[in-house]
Amino acid sequence: MIINYIPILLVIAAAAGFAGLVVYSSTLFGPQSPNKEKLSTYESGMKPVGTTKERVSVKYYLVAMFFIIFDLEVVFVYPWAVQFKKLYNQYGISVFISMLIFLVVLELGYLYVYKKGGFKWD
Amino acid sequence: MTTIPIEYYLVLSAFMFITGVIGVLIRRNAIIVFMCIELMLNSANLSLVTFSSYMGNSIGQVFVFFVMTVAAAEAAIGLAIIIALFRNKMTLNIDEVNIMKW
Amino acid sequence: MNLEIILFILFSVIAAASAVIMITRANPIISALFLVLNFACLAGLYLLLNAQFIAVTQIIVYAGAIMVLFLFVIMLLRPEHDLTLQKKSKIKFMAAAAGIFVFAQLVYIIFFFSPNASQKTSVQSSINSGTIEQIGTAIFTKYVIPFEAAGYLLLAAAIGALVLAKKKFE
Repeated sequence: MIINYIPILLVIAAAAGFAGLVVYSSTLFGPQSPNKEKLSTYESGMKPVGTTKERVSVKYYLVAMFFIIFDLEVVFVYPWAVQFKKLYNQYGISVFISMLIFLVVLELGYLYVYKKGGFKWD
Repeated sequence: MTTIPIEYYLVLSAFMFITGVIGVLIRRNAIIVFMCIELMLNSANLSLVTFSSYMGNSIGQVFVFFVMTVAAAEAAIGLAIIIALFRNKMTLNIDEVNIMKW
Repeated sequence: MNLEIILFILFSVIAAASAVIMITRANPIISALFLVLNFACLAGLYLLLNAQFIAVTQIIVYAGAIMVLFLFVIMLLRPEHDLTLQKKSKIKFMAAAAGIFVFAQLVYIIFFFSPNASQKTSVQSSINSGTIEQIGTAIFTKYVIPFEAAGYLLLAAAIGALVLAKKKFE
C-alpha cells in the first residue's frame, strides 16, 4: 500500500530540503553589498561578447549513449540476481546460461565500442 | 487500488497519448518530435501497468520492461541519427529533411 | 478523501499539465525538463498501482538516463535560431481538432464499452504482481527468449549509435 512508502517520501523530502537549505543559507547568512561592477557578467576582465545561446560542445555524448544501453543491462541483471536461488533450485543451470548468453552478447558490443575508440575524447 | 476506478487511469493515459500525437503534428524541431514519441510510449506503459495491477497479473509489467528496453535503444539510435543529420545539413527542422521524398 | 485519492489527483494533474506544457514551449530545454517532471509523476502513479519495480526502473532509465542524453543532445545541437511552433496556423488547428476528436472517441469507449470494468482482484494479488520476484520469475522462465532478443537489440543499438554518431574512426 501507498502508506508503506512514507519513509521513502521522508528521505526524498529531507534530501531536497537539505539541498535547498544549503543553497538558501548562503544568501541568508552571507554579507551582501552589491554594486554595479560586482553584478556585471564576469568574463576575464573583458566586456562580455556574444549571446548566451552558444552551442555547448558536449564531447561525451557518445559515452551517455552507451551509458543508457549498459544501464538497461544492469536493470535486467537485478531481478535475475534476486530470483536466482529459487529459479536455480527449480530449473537448474539453464537459468545461469541464459544470463551468460545475454551478458556475452552485450560485452561483445562493449568490446567493439572500445576497440573502435568510442570512449575516446575527440 | 480499491478506491480509484480503472477508467481514470485509462483517461489519463489516453490524454497523454493524444498530447504526444498533437505534439508530433505541430512541432517541427526533430528533438521535440522525438520527445513526443517518448511521451506516447509512456502513456502506453501507463495503461499496461494499470491493467496488470487491476488484474493482479504481472505479465503486463514484464511487457512494460521490454518496452523500456526498446525505448532506450530507440533513444540512443534516434539521437545518433539526429546528430548525424545536424552534421550533414546543419538543421533540425524536419521539413527540410526531404531528400527521400518523391 | 483518503491519501490515495489526493495523491492520484496530484500526480495525474501534474502529469497532464506538464505534457501539455512540454509540447507548447519554444525552448527545447524547457520542454525536456517538463518531460522529466511528467516521468517522475508517472513513477508516482506506478507506486499507487503497486508496481514498485516498474516505478524504480522508470526513474532510473527514463529520468536518469534517457532524458540526460536528450539534454546533452539539445545542448550540443543548438541551431542558430531556435525553432518555434509550426508557422501555419491551419495545420495547428487541424492537429488540435483531430486530437480532440480521437480523445473524445477514446473517452467514450473507456466509459461506455469497457466490458466488466469493475472486475478487480484483491489488493493482495495486485501487490504481489508488482514485486520484483514475480517479474523476475516471469522474465527468466516464460519470457526468456524475448529477454535474449533484448540483448541482441541492445547490441545493435550500441553498434548503431557508435557508427552513426562518431565523427572519425581510427
